Amino acid sequence: MNHSRSLDVLIIDDEPKRAEALFEALNALGHKVVCHLPGPTGLCTQVSALSPDIVIIDMDSPNRDTLESMAAMSRTAPRPIVFFAEKESDRDSISAAINAGVSAYIADGLQIDRVKVIMDTAIAQFDAYQDLRSELEKTRIQLSERKIIEKAKGMLIKHQGCDEDQAYKTLRKLAMDRSQKLVDVARNVIDILEQVTTQDTGQR
Amino acid sequence: MSTATLEKTELKLGFVPLLDSAPLVIAREKGFFQREGLNVVLSREPTWASIRDKVSFGLLDGAQMLSPMPLASTLGLGSQITPMVTGLALSTNGNAITLSSQLYQALSPKLRSRSSAAEVGSALKQWISEQPIKPNFATVFPYSCQHYQLRYWLTACGIDPDNDVTLLAVPPTKMVSTMQQGLIDGYCAGEPWNSIAEAEGVGKIALTGYQVWSDSIEKVFAVTQRWALAHPNTHLAVLRALLAACEWLSHEENLAEADRLIALPPYLDRSVCPMLQARSTPLMQSFYGDEVNAPALSHANLMLEQMERWGQWRGGDHAEIARSVYDMDLYQTVQHTMPACA
Repeated sequence: MNHSRSLDVLIIDDEPKRAEALFEALNALGHKVVCHLPGPTGLCTQVSALSPDIVIIDMDSPNRDTLESMAAMSRTAPRPIVFFAEKESDRDSISAAINAGVSAYIADGLQIDRVKVIMDTAIAQFDAYQDLRSELEKTRIQLSERKIIEKAKGMLIKHQGCDEDQAYKTLRKLAMDRSQKLVDVARNVIDILEQVTTQDTGQR
Repeated sequence: MSTATLEKTELKLGFVPLLDSAPLVIAREKGFFQREGLNVVLSREPTWASIRDKVSFGLLDGAQMLSPMPLASTLGLGSQITPMVTGLALSTNGNAITLSSQLYQALSPKLRSRSSAAEVGSALKQWISEQPIKPNFATVFPYSCQHYQLRYWLTACGIDPDNDVTLLAVPPTKMVSTMQQGLIDGYCAGEPWNSIAEAEGVGKIALTGYQVWSDSIEKVFAVTQRWALAHPNTHLAVLRALLAACEWLSHEENLAEADRLIALPPYLDRSVCPMLQARSTPLMQSFYGDEVNAPALSHANLMLEQMERWGQWRGGDHAEIARSVYDMDLYQTVQHTMPACA
């Protein structure tokens, strides 16, 4: 029998390091945690089979609309946490989660206070990972690849008029949507934007 | 350009990589936002849930949305209650129902080159009755025209969407690969995801959304009512820029350039670029005209009826909700303050 405080948590994240850190942090709090990096149909099956109390998922994961649909179609599927924002203080903590890139789906009937600790832990892990990201990239990605990513970011910043964070997020979203490596997406972005600059000389 | 003072000039607007994000892309790339004194960053969003949450919580100033979405948010369906408003529709039509190549082939003896919705439906109904397991159909988001069109069509053909098929949700960018893996037999989605399935030989467009509901508003531009109240002049400026972009898109001679601009990263990006030639599919997608851009109350009412019919909403005062979300007065103000055409 589970202790009353222990919850079943499903983490869906395509950043293995971050998922691992969150897994350990939540385990240490005594929760039963499962990590998965599934495709969309696998996700449906897994959520139905596990019936987790809470699903933690990257705000920008393409799989979120799958969870939204499950929530709309089945009464037992976990519901988007924004659904439970009744008080202004709830709105504030959800706002903090969204800012950190965390979104969550929780089982109906679960009190939001019980979820709050888990949310706070996830936010802390996502924030920490944000700081760790450049460090990790340095060790994980070769210098030559890093230069390509930097160049693509620079071109996006110039062409889109956005800041560095937005440019990085854009590359990451493209990589997730195309199921490609960040560096491959970066190469492609450079190719296209270089073409545009040559074609449009004097026009833009 | 209007002389009214803009409350905010640096804006972040969200879009989902679909062909009908074109008005936002064109408004930025052709300088229509700039002409209104706005500096706009367009943020590519992977899901409609992300668009909804980021607009609700102020991470985005506004966004392209599926036409039922501002209504669903205002009613608190699938989210907390966040009143939203739209003063401009961005496109009509543009959806299609794609069947996997195997399924299409199985039905093909009963189909003509352009079968009616009823003919495709009756062939499908018979095929389903002969199958040992239920086929899987996918849509992108529960509060979408695609979802309602699929349910509407299946029901009209005597196929129970809740019992005769399994309905799934798959993100648009994963639709074709999911079909290729044999995990879904059909889907209803916006372009270019139907043409891509055809071009890659994975599926076949069996029916257009136009054949199910003709001239239905597909995407709108929406903001929260709170944002609209705080930024009335900026709001009008954004809508004017978007309407100018819609007008620009209505000129045949601009389409080649439009294709080139939409293909840039991070918009639709190169992976879908060659498919844009597939505009010849009879999807009847339009971006401009009163019947396209007016946030028509009749459409809001149709969406509310669908939410009620499919059990998403318990029901209420349709007319009042429609009026508070689909703002025709705002649309008329936009029209009257448009800069004179050059």
